[in-house]
Amino acid sequence: MIACEDLWKSYPAGHTRKFVLQGINLTINRGERVALLGRNGAGKSTLIKQIGGVEVPDRGKVTRKMSVSWPIGFNGGFQGSLTGLDNARFISRIYGSSYSEMRDFVEDFTELGSSLSMPVKTYSSGMRARLAFALSLGIEFDCYLIDEVILVGDHNFQRKCHHELFEKRADRAMVIVSHDMETVRNVCNRASVIHEGKAIPFEDVHEATKYYEEL
Amino acid sequence: MSALAKGWDIQLRVLKALMLRELTTRFGRENIGFLWIMVEPLLFAVLVALLWRAMKGPVENGVDMVTFVVSGYIPLVLFRSSVNRAISSFTANSSLMYHRQITIIDLILVRFGIEFIGHMMAYLFIALVLGSFGLFPWPHDLGFIILGWIYYSFFTFSITLIVAPLSEMSDVLEKIVPVTTYMMIPFSGAFYLVSVLYPTAAEVVLYSPPVHAMEMMRYGIFGPSIDPQYDLVYPIAFCLPCIALGLLLCRIVRRRLVIE
Repeated sequence: MIACEDLWKSYPAGHTRKFVLQGINLTINRGERVALLGRNGAGKSTLIKQIGGVEVPDRGKVTRKMSVSWPIGFNGGFQGSLTGLDNARFISRIYGSSYSEMRDFVEDFTELGSSLSMPVKTYSSGMRARLAFALSLGIEFDCYLIDEVILVGDHNFQRKCHHELFEKRADRAMVIVSHDMETVRNVCNRASVIHEGKAIPFEDVHEATKYYEEL
Repeated sequence: MSALAKGWDIQLRVLKALMLRELTTRFGRENIGFLWIMVEPLLFAVLVALLWRAMKGPVENGVDMVTFVVSGYIPLVLFRSSVNRAISSFTANSSLMYHRQITIIDLILVRFGIEFIGHMMAYLFIALVLGSFGLFPWPHDLGFIILGWIYYSFFTFSITLIVAPLSEMSDVLEKIVPVTTYMMIPFSGAFYLVSVLYPTAAEVVLYSPPVHAMEMMRYGIFGPSIDPQYDLVYPIAFCLPCIALGLLLCRIVRRRLVIE
């Protein structure tokens, strides 16, 4: 279980502060797939960073009773000046898993071939997304945090992601940020709409997407 | 495995991975690779020593000039480069904060650790080379050299622990640090023996912890003839509050850190 209790987060904006999260409460149980919906700048990525422990909230606390991945997105989680394989080696070292297994998985999953020996900063956003997914799927977590990268890449890659995430890891919890309501309806079993710094919970995903579309 | 042993295990794993990553990004895998970490201090020390040797002759304070300068200069360069490397080290490594097992203290530890290993290797290398030409004496007491290094490094680390978070809070620091580290030269004990200073000057420089550490090292190398002046307690009494302050600042900065 992951529990967010009364999370507040603000950032400096000129001489004042912008309060992005204003008392968020959210619980994610084992095996649940929770969608975070909200307009651009509503605070979805900010919330996912607090859940993943990337940033520290001003107030409130996050309790993690299962292993949680880092937020999987276009940046973060890897180092631009290192090559794809160096990043894989680093991740397997800090998470204490075997590098040879990690490398095999990354090579197979990303299909990036010789580009894996190039610095990540030379990658396109599609290539980055492939690497980001491969690195985090190379480590087994109870809960995956997925920040908007789910729909990038070509058809073949999307099918692979779908298979790895929603079929092979159907028992895992996930927090998914996406603007694609179709995917959200298909894969998530709960949703929260982030609006004006608060999280509005919905047990029914269809209701949540309807509410979000009317915002 | 107990929770403590597991935590320790993760800590070691993280430090090792960070160290290797930093070495790869800074020095690459081309030519001599990570051996570059000792080249800079080595060149610094040798060139400065030759300069002094040319200007002031072969003997200083009754001991060999080159040995004297080299043994003083390498720890000073360690201090200077460690402090410079500490600046903005959190922003430069902010993507690492995506992994919860990595803390900002680890980032400081690793950057300092690499400087420490590099300078230590350079010191050892020079001592062996000079020693084989009969220019570096067989140490009077190896234990005191090591003790001096421990004190010097402890002081350096406690300062980096303050400089790293402060540099994230204010840009001014970045501008004044190079000047400040330069002004540290007289307070590092690198180019004199306390026993030959005027009593008032000696009193002043002994407020600086690295002077004590340097005197210990010099005693370890040259023996009692240099009349070392040091206190074993004062440097620690100075550094412990610095470490406490540094940890506190790190905690404050971590809460403020905005990560892309």
